[in-house]
Order: sequence, then structure tokens, then C-alpha cells
Amino acid sequence: MRAVTETTRTGSAPRTGPRPLALDVRALRFAYGDRIALHGIDVAVAPGEVLGFLGPNGAGKSTTIKVITGQLLPSGGEVRVLGMDVTKRRSEVQARIGVGFEEKNLYASLSGAENLLFFARLFGIGRPDVDGLLARVGLSERGHDRVSGYSKGMRQRLMMARALINDPDVLILDEPTDGLDPTSARTIRDLIRERAANGTAVLLTTHDMWEADELADRVVFLHEGRIYAEGPPEDLKLRHGKRNVRIRFREDGLVREVVVPLDGPDASQRLAQATAGVDLLTVHTEEATLETVFVEMTGRGLT
Amino acid sequence: MIRAGRVHARMVRAIVRKDLTEFARDRLWMVLTPLALIVFAAVYWLLPATVDESVTIGVAPPALAAVLDLASLAGDARADSPRIVPFADEASLARAIDDGRPAPDGDRAEPVTIGLAFPADFLLAALTGREPTVRLHVAGSVPPELQGALTAAVREAAFAASGSPLPVTLPAADALVLGPDRSGAQLPLRERMRPLLAFFVLLTESLALASLLAAEVSSRTVAAVLATPARVLDVIVAKGVTGTALAFSQATLLLLVTRSFDANVLPLLAAVALGSVLMAGVALLTGAAGRDFLGTLFLGVGFLIPLTLPAFALLFPGSVSTWIQVLPSHGVVQAIHGAGALGLGFGDLAVPFATGALWSLALFALGGWVLARRVASA
Repeated sequence: MRAVTETTRTGSAPRTGPRPLALDVRALRFAYGDRIALHGIDVAVAPGEVLGFLGPNGAGKSTTIKVITGQLLPSGGEVRVLGMDVTKRRSEVQARIGVGFEEKNLYASLSGAENLLFFARLFGIGRPDVDGLLARVGLSERGHDRVSGYSKGMRQRLMMARALINDPDVLILDEPTDGLDPTSARTIRDLIRERAANGTAVLLTTHDMWEADELADRVVFLHEGRIYAEGPPEDLKLRHGKRNVRIRFREDGLVREVVVPLDGPDASQRLAQATAGVDLLTVHTEEATLETVFVEMTGRGLT
Repeated sequence: MIRAGRVHARMVRAIVRKDLTEFARDRLWMVLTPLALIVFAAVYWLLPATVDESVTIGVAPPALAAVLDLASLAGDARADSPRIVPFADEASLARAIDDGRPAPDGDRAEPVTIGLAFPADFLLAALTGREPTVRLHVAGSVPPELQGALTAAVREAAFAASGSPLPVTLPAADALVLGPDRSGAQLPLRERMRPLLAFFVLLTESLALASLLAAEVSSRTVAAVLATPARVLDVIVAKGVTGTALAFSQATLLLLVTRSFDANVLPLLAAVALGSVLMAGVALLTGAAGRDFLGTLFLGVGFLIPLTLPAFALLFPGSVSTWIQVLPSHGVVQAIHGAGALGLGFGDLAVPFATGALWSLALFALGGWVLARRVASA
């Protein structure tokens, strides 16, 4: 079994030694007829780790998720969840994973609680803590209302609760905060952090680069079925982005601005020169974002 | 792409329970289902429960009506044997048939639907070996087989009068009437309608399941189900169980309301169960193929209309060709009709049951296969 070396959020140094992987995808290939969707990708997620799985529409994210969740059989390669081969022990794997789909595929004529109970039955959970889960996602008061009357945010929160109904060891979330109001999005992000802190491995796909930066320990850039880059967000930004300091100062009664690049040698000296003896107004750092890194690497945006 | 595996009873139970809850909360089907039952039951009870086998035959000129004992030749002396009514001439006889007026003697209200216009010298011609022309007037509602019978009756009358047969030829049969000979024990229309009504109930429930299924596929809730340990085979079996249970319960209720279980309960229940499986298979097929409610309805109706033909054929025996026997519903309809209306048992209905079972299983398997493919591509 492969293992990962756990890194800190800055990617600077390992926290502990190698740990067994919760999700281990190797050389995964998949084709829809003649069209190859995945060209042999490798993805690994350790317990307690949040992996941001990023890429534009059609990159192969959903196909990867379908293979991991056992809905599609791979054309080649290997997918192991908690050490189990998905193609050989599908039911056991599915009992240990929770999936949050991008579309709100809930049963609209059932209540939130009935939706959770139905999926609990499919997982063979005798006495699910439905009320506890509804409370955790802020749906206690509306849990017994039909989903058809739910707002988008409420549906998304119920989707999250459904993904957690079997207390999964691996959580796969596809755009979990897409289109949500800030409060609902924050509830979801808090839940993701909480689960990761409790040891759940999280595979998170999102178009929201800020969210990926905020939540993910590592990110993977997927484009046209291939992985372009992988690593902690900070590492990628430092490795592939440009770092500048934007300095505003007053001179001769006018507000002036200079941009000091921090890449290359003598950055400290250049910064010192730029700020020496001037009437400083503001100093802003300009770091690369994950999106700019992605655009730089693939030549296209994430949407 | 998706493997089937074995069926898990726990999954099937959970999905069936959920499906029934969804069905119970679907306003459209919760209105349509009882409404259909009420309408179909009302149609059954409003239809005549007896068969009027009487026929009034007009004869011109009146003298021949008295001389020729057509009634006793055409049947026997029962109350429903043909009644002979004399007319002054052929023209008045033809008018009476055209207008659908009651017989001129007024003692019975039945209109004259058949008229025999004999030439004035009929008896003389028959006795001397000539070939007189007898004109047969019939209303449009008279079945062709009765026209043939009357031709034969005229020939017999001439034979009785002259002692030698007239050169009358009967048309060759161009349709095959299947089933037992019901001469003298014809089924009333309501009994012949029973399989059609039961079939309409099955059809309604088939459309209900198909629409629920299409909604499940298009909303991709089925993808969420398949991300759990449930398999696609569990989903197919569960949908089949739901559809069969819904169709069977509704059709059985209709048969109860129409007092169809006086005899041969088991064969009739078995026939309805077969029909329910058949319709569940159709629902899987149309539900998987339909993209939305209207699409599913369109597909479902288009697929189901041909399946009703064998039931319609029971209403109008001899009106359709034998090719309807190849329709998937033929065996089921024959089994329902045979057990429910004719009182036949499993032994008599072995062939309809066998063909019905084969078609039901084949359609169910085809529907399951299409659904599995649709789910895989969702």
C-alpha cells in the first residue's frame, strides 16, 4: 500500500511520518467509447486530508468520482479505497464512502428526514442519528418538511447531511458550496474541516479557488484527463505564481505607486530601496492565486 | 459498465418503501388511480348484463309470412327466437328497416332490422324448379354472420316448400373466431369488457411507474442510490416489485368491485399477476427511455395501445385477424378472459399462461436492460 508524507498547510515540512492512504488511484484510465476521458491519472488522499480536485468542466473530475464510487468500471489502472480494490469489493467500499453530488439529487416529495432515513436503510444503518445530522447542517426546524419546499442552500446542506449518513471514512464532495449564500457555504466548510479533523479523507472538487485554497491541504489540477500539477496550494502558488509588493506613497503632493517583484535575487534589497525615505501610504502583497497558476499551466480558465 | 450482482432484499425493501411513499404523494397519480378505478367500475356496471338474442324479421308479402314457418326453421320456439312481422310490400319493408322503426303490430318495441322480400310467385317458382330471387334487406347493425344464417333459412324454406334445394351459395369464411363455441350462451358486453377494463387499470399503473422512474433517472437520484452498496439489479427488481404490486392491487380491486371472483379465483389472480409483471416490464422500458413526464407518457401510450388490441378483439369477436396472437398481451388477455368470464381453469388456459409468462419475463428483462444502460449513462 502506498503512503503519503503529511505536510503542513504551507507545505514546508512534514508533520509526521508516512500514513496509509484512504484513497489511492493509480494510472487510472477511462474511455467513453473512442473518447478517452482519463489518461492514467494518479491521485492519493490520506486520512484527515482534504484534497482539492480542480479542473474545468469536462476535465474528467466527474468520471474520476464515478470510478471511485464504483459507478463506472475503469478501462485501466487501479482504485483502492481504504486498501480495498473498488472493482472487486465495491459494496464494502461504498459502505465506507460518502458522496455529495453536484446536482441536488434529492427526493423532492420526501422530507429531509425521510431522505436521510432512506439512505440510512440502503447503508444498513439500523438507528441513524437523523435528528443529529439535521441539526448539524441547520435543518432541525425544517427537517420534516418536504424537500420540494427547500431553498437551494437547504438542499445543499441536506446533501451534505446525506453524504455523512454512514459516517464515512472517505468523503467525496462535488461542488459542495456551489451557488450558496455565505452562511450556508460557511456551514458546509465548517463541516468539511470538522470531518477532516476527525480523520476523514476528503476529495473536494470545486470551481471556487478561494475555497480550495482555504480548505485543501493539497490540490490537483486536472485538465483534459491529465494531471498538470499537484501539491499544497502555497507550494503551487510559490512555484508557479509571481510575487509582488505594491507600494503606494506620497511624493510632491501626489500619490504614487510602485510594484516591487519579490522573485529573483536581491528582493529584500529592492524592497528596502523602494520604501526608504518615502511617505508610505500602503503596502500590499500580490500573491498568485490558484486560478492564475492554473491558467498559466493549462492556458485556459477553470470554467 | 455497471455490474449487476445478486439481489439484496434489504435494498429492495428500502427502495420499494420509498417508491410507494413517493407514489402516495404524487397528486396526479393519486387522483388518476382512484378515478380510473371508479370510471372503469362504473362502465362495467352500466353495460348490459344480459344478451338480447331476439331478432325481428320483416317479410313481404304478408301471405308468405303466414305460409313460411321461418321462425321454426331459423331456431326453436324459445322466446328469443326470430319473430316474423308481415309487411304489405317490399317498399314498406325497406322503409321500416331504413328508419329503424318498430314493428307495425306495435306489441314489441324492437325495430325490424332484417327483411325478406319474396316475389309473389315464390311458392310456384320453387315448386316448378325455377330460381326465384329473394331480396334480403338488412340494417347496418346486423352482423354478417346473421345474413348468412338468413340466406340458409330462406334456402331451407324453399326446400320445405318444394322438396328440392335452391342453388344458394354461402360466402367462404374469411375470419377465424377463436375460443369456445358460445352458441346459445353468449357473453354480455360487460363480461367481454372485463379484460379490457382490467387491462386499462394495469395500463394506468404502468404509466404511473414509468413517470416515477423517468423522474428518478432524469433527476439522477438513482445515481445517489447507486453510490451506496445498492446495485443496479436491486433498483430494477425494486421498481419491478413496486410496479407489479401497484398494478396487481388496482386490477384486483377492480375485479373485486366487478364481482369477478365468483369462481376460478386462483387462475384469475395468476392471470392478473402475469399482466402486472408485463406492465411493470413496459414501465421499465418506457420509464428508462423517457426523458420527462410528457416524453414518458408519449412513449408509454404509443407502446401500450397495441397491447390493448387483444382486449378490444374480445369485444368484437371475429373483427381482427389472427396476427394479434403475436402481441405480448394476447396470452394475458386470453387468460384473464378465460378465467374471469368463461370459468376456465389452469389446464384449459395452459397455452395463454405459458405465452403470457414468456412475454412478461421477456419484456421485464428488456426493460431492466434498457434501464441499466440508461442508469449507467446518467
